[in-house]
Amino acid sequence: MRGKSELKVHLLALAMVIISEYIGIKSFKVGPGTVMLLPMLYALVIGMFLPALRLVDRTDMETASPFIGFSVMYLTAKMGTTIGPSLPKILSAGPALILQEFGNLGTIFFSLPIAVLVFKMGREAVGICFSISREGSLAIVSDLYGLDSPEGRGVMGAYIVGTLFGAIFNGLMVGFLISLGIFHPFALAMACGTGSASMMAASLGPVVAAYPTIQTELSAFAATSQLLTSVDGLYMSLFIAVPITEWLYRKLKGKEAERETPKEGVNQ
Amino acid sequence: MKISFSTALRIFVISGFLALIGNYVGFKVSPLEALPGMLILLVLIIAGEVLTRVSPLKLPSIAYVSLLAIIASVPGVPGAEAVIRYADKVQFLALCTPILAYAGISIGKDLNSFKEQGLKMVVVTLLTFIGTFVGSAAIAQLILKLTGVI
Repeated sequence: MRGKSELKVHLLALAMVIISEYIGIKSFKVGPGTVMLLPMLYALVIGMFLPALRLVDRTDMETASPFIGFSVMYLTAKMGTTIGPSLPKILSAGPALILQEFGNLGTIFFSLPIAVLVFKMGREAVGICFSISREGSLAIVSDLYGLDSPEGRGVMGAYIVGTLFGAIFNGLMVGFLISLGIFHPFALAMACGTGSASMMAASLGPVVAAYPTIQTELSAFAATSQLLTSVDGLYMSLFIAVPITEWLYRKLKGKEAERETPKEGVNQ
Repeated sequence: MKISFSTALRIFVISGFLALIGNYVGFKVSPLEALPGMLILLVLIIAGEVLTRVSPLKLPSIAYVSLLAIIASVPGVPGAEAVIRYADKVQFLALCTPILAYAGISIGKDLNSFKEQGLKMVVVTLLTFIGTFVGSAAIAQLILKLTGVI
């Protein structure tokens, strides 16, 4: 019955892709940012309704789960082909901007303790806290844990939240940080390059508005930092951020962490 | 679960086909025009998967696939221009939709845990955004001070 289930899953996925892409990208302005609805989000939502419509059963769900890891590889390869051309530019960016990349790791020590100690979250927190959960993070979690693991649910939840509210939230947050006056505008601009184009635009907006006379420098700092993050993001996450998150999670959970079994290396 | 090479190849071809169709419906790039790019990506993936299995350095396949794709597209590497030009015909977003379509199908069994954790996930995600931005800005501030830029 395996073959029949596989055919059904592929045909359903094809139908979901066609419907989602046909609807296309919809974006609308809300406050300081833009809400962007992407076809991949529709595909996920359609999938959530399939069991209620009795179109898929448990066997189909299990059949579909390894296919996620296969389709993720196209994304990984495509991201690679966009990194290569900008590699020479990166090497000339200078040590200051490259060191600054490590700032992206700071969030682990902030959000993970709150997730584990205050919200009593399980391994979902590992999927959420190591990055800002953009497409590359989906690929990493899918390859390391599988997207149908607790870590996978975490990164997918965070991905949805980020896609819907990331730009708006960043815009508001940066506006607030500017009003505090603790950071130099250059530092703020560099921090805007976190790897997501829509989030960068939304967070750079208020900085440029507050310091219009130096906007050329601000944009250059943000763009270079953005480029660096998009190049090193995958490797930083894979070799530094995920291991640190795993380590801190175990520290925070103590004995409880030993009872949980991470599904590491499912696609190996 | 060990997946045989022929099964892996079949799934790669099928999920590539889904992306090709999505690329056509969503971005109006004809499948024929995007096919060379998809094939290049497929070759990079297969080479990466093979490397993952034979390499003595045990890294996740995503690291190898991405490394090969980077090398193949660095200016100056033979064929890099063609790789970039053809891969450009395949839209990034069109490659994302099949992933979440399969994820959507398999996610039904986890709906309850999404419901239970939904609100916590939203809050922790937003905290992660704050931490990433503030952490980044703090280190930037420090480095800019140390290097005398500000």
